[in-house]
Amino acid sequence: MKIAIVVQRYGVDINGGAELHARYIAERLAKHATVEVLTTCARDYVTWRNELPPGEDTVNSVRVRRFPVAHPRSPDAFGRLSHLVFDTRHSVADELRWLDSEGPTSPDLVRYVRAQAGAFDFFVFFSYRYYHAWHGCRAVADKAILVPTAERDAALGVSIFGPVFRMARALMYNSPEERALIEHLSGRTGPGVVVGVGSAIPDHPQPSRFRRKFQARRPFAIYIGRIDENKGCPELFTYFTRYAAKRPHGLDLLLVGSNVIEIPAHPRIRHLGFLSDEDKFDALAAADVLIMPSQYESLSMVALEAWALGKPVLANGRCDVLKGQCLRSNAGLFYESFDEFDQALFHLEASGPIGAPLGRNGREFFRKHYSWPVIEQKYLDMFRRLAREPVPAVEPMPGFFARRARTLPPAADVVAAAPAGAVRS
Amino acid sequence: MSDINVRAESVDVDQIMRQIRARIREKRGADYTEAELQQLATVKLEQFLDPKGLRSDLVQHFRRKVEESPAPPNYEFEADTVFETHRGPLRTIRNLFRPLLKLFVNIDRITTALHLQSRINSQAEHRLRQVEQREMLAYELLHNMTLEVTRLGIEVHNLRMRVESLSSRVDFDERRAKALEGVVQYRTPVVRQAPAAAGAGQPTLDGTASGEGADGDAGTGARRRRRRRRRRPGGTAADAQGQTWAERPGDSDEGGSDDGEAGGDERGADDTTDDRGPADQ
Repeated sequence: MKIAIVVQRYGVDINGGAELHARYIAERLAKHATVEVLTTCARDYVTWRNELPPGEDTVNSVRVRRFPVAHPRSPDAFGRLSHLVFDTRHSVADELRWLDSEGPTSPDLVRYVRAQAGAFDFFVFFSYRYYHAWHGCRAVADKAILVPTAERDAALGVSIFGPVFRMARALMYNSPEERALIEHLSGRTGPGVVVGVGSAIPDHPQPSRFRRKFQARRPFAIYIGRIDENKGCPELFTYFTRYAAKRPHGLDLLLVGSNVIEIPAHPRIRHLGFLSDEDKFDALAAADVLIMPSQYESLSMVALEAWALGKPVLANGRCDVLKGQCLRSNAGLFYESFDEFDQALFHLEASGPIGAPLGRNGREFFRKHYSWPVIEQKYLDMFRRLAREPVPAVEPMPGFFARRARTLPPAADVVAAAPAGAVRS
Repeated sequence: MSDINVRAESVDVDQIMRQIRARIREKRGADYTEAELQQLATVKLEQFLDPKGLRSDLVQHFRRKVEESPAPPNYEFEADTVFETHRGPLRTIRNLFRPLLKLFVNIDRITTALHLQSRINSQAEHRLRQVEQREMLAYELLHNMTLEVTRLGIEVHNLRMRVESLSSRVDFDERRAKALEGVVQYRTPVVRQAPAAAGAGQPTLDGTASGEGADGDAGTGARRRRRRRRRRPGGTAADAQGQTWAERPGDSDEGGSDDGEAGGDERGADDTTDDRGPADQ
């Protein structure tokens, strides 16, 4: 079997959620099939500037083929078109221009996918919202498997994605909430499975090594990820500052990751910057609890890593996916206000009665659903199933005039009208 | 007060979250939603403390923009204006030929019209100045009214918050009174009729044994102290009872805070009985 993984960026130093997800899947599937990664020369997801050389490369024993991006993203044009598509009535032509401006616009990549359609059994496209996934899925619809990595944001309400969701042979979802949302918005009924992704969990992380190295003497909660407004960090800082004032002997807060926003100077908040994987897992093992303040997540890999290490999670309850994961795993609490944050964090301290059993549940949840053998098996089962099933018809694009009629509702309104909430089972 | 009950083998996150929310509702007293709290916080920050909202510099702002307009160009026109010149010989020649000019043109009518126009211009300028002054007064008046309306708005908000605060305090007091009534009903016969039985632990609001009754010797000592207080001039049985209640840490914290749901209350309760006090130390 020969599989192509098509993703917007690829490399060991590229740590975006979907890109890391794609790399893990490519490396794991390489044990069962011939895997080739098709990607762009971009490294920066804001500009999509060509930074890596085009042509063939090998990353962790996986063959990678890079294609140049035709033009970098213009933030002004993209912002203007985003406003047009998300907030006003617009046309299909507007949406296509928006997709083109979002990038990474690589017609060479799409041409290669179309030309090599016969050479691969399946093409696994990552991140539905980008140029390569939309054009690629249409080019080889009979072999396209889509890993949407969709969050509940306005892009999901853009109408051109509906046919792509419907015509892809299979969708590999990250969570039941993502599945429910996509199926509601697109009307898809075809094959799909909630898979997610595993992680490279070390067998024996050493919390004491971390405590020695970073002089962490007090018990602490940890946040791992980009310290950014979009990740809910300002609210986390506000809540934690109040918590610290209220509970002088409570947990400290350690932040791991690069900061985009300013971190408040507080004696109980420490920023450790970007850590190696070894230090990161040691830190996670030393922590009492992982805090996930983000409101927009399609799958939190770091939450899964915490559960794999037997640590409970405190998540933002306004994120359906995280809340659903906490409920299904019975391994984390969630908050929607300061009082809930305060009470939940207090009860999740390692010395309390809840932390340890929740951590055990988390470890079991990870083992049952997100260990690599389980994930690999779900992909292989899907490949086998699709090889047997008939290929559905491709939906044609609207005609010249229909494409230009500004009759489509604002995408943000479409998503807002979709039902929300965590899926409990 | 409810506590988080967990059996290690069967943790249910949904149930824990329900317990946490119930506990928060109990502690808050008045059950504000998060949105209502946010709204109250916003009102306080934006309208009570933000001096920019008052626009006290409105008049200066207006004056900066509406400067006195320059006087429109005007002229003076008299009967001899058309013949005037600073050159002496030319003036002589013009005067000499004036009768001849009058023969062909009615110069007086032109002179009168232009003179009248000049006066009209002067009057218009005068009226313009008056309008500008009136406009300034109008803006001053508007500014004062804005200030007054803003002040009234703040006062209304203030009063509304005081009403909310008072109603939540009344609720809190009612609950506290009910709780204390329960304690009085239970304790009074114990003190008067069966002193020896007072050593048994009494359930409190928090579900813990009261410190006074937990130890027999301590109970006897407390009774002695109460008797001494009753004998003391000015000391009444009610005072002694009140003192005993006030000795309970939870009660003393609750009584000390005006806001009901403020941090002081919660901290007091958390650090003593409900929230695993030793872990928090």
